[in-house]
Amino acid sequence: MIIQGTHRGGDITDRADVVIVGTGAGGGTLGVYLAERGWNVVMLEKGGFFRAEDFTQREDDAMSEFNGRRGLDSTTDNALFLNYAEAVGGSTVHYWGDSFRTPHDRLERWRTQSGIDWMTPDALNPHWDVIEKELGIHIAGPELFNENNRLVKQGCEALGIHGEAAPTARVNCIACGWTQFGCAYNRKSSQLITTIPRISKTGGRIYSDARVERIIIENGRARGVEGVLLDRATDQPKGRIRVDADFVVLAGGALGTAELLLRNVDDATVGRRFYLNPHFFVWADFGRRIDNQTGIPCAYVVHEFREVKHDAAGNYQGGGYIMLCNHQSPGIFATMLSDTGVAHTERMKKYHQLGSVMSVIDEEHPGRVFLDGKGIRRTEFRVQGIDVLKAVDYLKNASRIFLAAGAQEVWIPDVYGTVVRNENDVQTKITARSVAPNAQFAAGSHLLGTAPIGSDPNDSFAKPTGEAHRIQNLYVADGAALPGSVSVDPSLTIMGVARHIAAGLDERSGRAGA
Amino acid sequence: MSQQPDLDPRHTAQPWLDRRGFLRTVAGGTAAIAAVSLLPAGCARDYPQAKSAGIELNSLTDKEFAIVRAAAEALLGNAPASADRVAAGIDRELALAGDPMRTDFKTVLGLLEHLTILGGHVRRFTALGIEDRLAYLRGWSRSRFKLRRAAFQAVKSFVFYFAYIQPETRPLTGFAGPWPERLKIAATPVDFGPIA
Repeated sequence: MIIQGTHRGGDITDRADVVIVGTGAGGGTLGVYLAERGWNVVMLEKGGFFRAEDFTQREDDAMSEFNGRRGLDSTTDNALFLNYAEAVGGSTVHYWGDSFRTPHDRLERWRTQSGIDWMTPDALNPHWDVIEKELGIHIAGPELFNENNRLVKQGCEALGIHGEAAPTARVNCIACGWTQFGCAYNRKSSQLITTIPRISKTGGRIYSDARVERIIIENGRARGVEGVLLDRATDQPKGRIRVDADFVVLAGGALGTAELLLRNVDDATVGRRFYLNPHFFVWADFGRRIDNQTGIPCAYVVHEFREVKHDAAGNYQGGGYIMLCNHQSPGIFATMLSDTGVAHTERMKKYHQLGSVMSVIDEEHPGRVFLDGKGIRRTEFRVQGIDVLKAVDYLKNASRIFLAAGAQEVWIPDVYGTVVRNENDVQTKITARSVAPNAQFAAGSHLLGTAPIGSDPNDSFAKPTGEAHRIQNLYVADGAALPGSVSVDPSLTIMGVARHIAAGLDERSGRAGA
Repeated sequence: MSQQPDLDPRHTAQPWLDRRGFLRTVAGGTAAIAAVSLLPAGCARDYPQAKSAGIELNSLTDKEFAIVRAAAEALLGNAPASADRVAAGIDRELALAGDPMRTDFKTVLGLLEHLTILGGHVRRFTALGIEDRLAYLRGWSRSRFKLRRAAFQAVKSFVFYFAYIQPETRPLTGFAGPWPERLKIAATPVDFGPIA
């Protein structure tokens, strides 16, 4: 059952075997696993409940209705825009659906460095097999490629750069292009239309507009949660909600989970690391109209540079990122340009003839999440050290790909108005100044690692099982739980990890097969 | 090379500033702040723009509205967007968004209005001509003070976003508009069970 807090008056109390805070990739996956094995499940979601008919594809509607902090959140120094969703279905409501299994080298790192012995392909592949089938994940076919995707592929092939069609989570997609504003046709396999209805049908209760404020902890054991029901129009409380449960699972995303923990527990491992895979954007003017609005934003991914290359002396030689084909709506695109006055208008006139890619920087220097003196959640992150070199290397290779594909010029949207027309420009004009804080619009949307699992209680919030080191029956099962950057879109990693945590919880609780 | 995150404070210190640090950095030092205080601050009658346009403000003061409007007027160039409408949109949004966005943006506006002396002007931002306002903003965009750059990005982003979400700009960009406005295509049915 879906219960919309915004439509309810008064207070609510409920009782469940497990209460899950958050309904996205982690919460939905874990919730449906347990619900379909006989668990009495309650889910609490801060954001609203929206259906296909609510998704207008207008960027202002999407930003204000289900993007975190109305689409205005950024790091404290305003250098990185933070892109996440708050709605039933979590960030899968606005994600692009790119669905990669975790690279083996990353699993190996988490297994050896974080002490998570089950971080292996053998342990996770069975979960991914199920999830991929349930979400209809498949390699994007030509029908989902728009012209931008084709041009990036063409440029890569001309240069001998490795790229591949993206695995994507959608069924019978009509290729309207604007998946990031919520799928208006129920073709993208978000948690909203996959796991949430299944949980509802088992008798699970999914409360929207329910902001959890307190984790009920008694004698070192989590017993439930308390919070408020919100009026969606004003974001003001209109009642209280309390759910008592045997188990509490936090799955509110790297920011939501960290904020709740920072308000409720004294644990130095919370929020100490914050990964976001910095996105820098490159735009290429082809001098003619190209289609970069239909299809799916990213049907093609450039993998060539995912691994960092060093020389024999250990000096950085390149790599440490992937590239995703990219498009943006006019309002958001307009904010990305750093021009002013008539120069900005002239660039906006070329909106329909631009190709684009964005970076997913596999950062080595995380930021942090904390509460400021007023108790407001803040984030700090700086692209620094080797991550600057990665960003610059990305800008250069992205420019080369577009030039090889026939672009007349490539725009690095920095405040210096950097325009690249040939290889000499690539080598001389693109420097670290372009990626300095606030030298251009940059963003992060793969928010991870703020309450990580691991074997060392001084370095991780939760055990490899997902249960907190210091609080019994309190689990983490979302992006916050990952030990670090995945180096690719993390959604399928989060789902696989959440399903593994769910299976362990089910087995250890003695309810397996109930 | 280690793949572990670098948490050494010697490497990560400094970029994070508290509000006092923010103000100091944007201003370029306490001497500049003192100099700024000599500039005429302006009073209510100097900021009649909102009232003149018949706009009821929700979060910004008359003065703050005038500053946003002046910035929009300069930044928008010949874009088919009204500075009044953009400023009103920002005012409404900040009312709903709350903190920390609202307080941060208001701080930026105050600095923008009164730090013009650092750009060699003896008049407030709102009293400058459009070309001088634009040159002043461009100066901030490339400032060696990173938080002046941050302030520029904040103002620029708000102004352009609220301009180009308007359908009136679609002929300029060639954007055809959202599919639901143009086509009727049925959504795949989803059974959510009971909805209350």
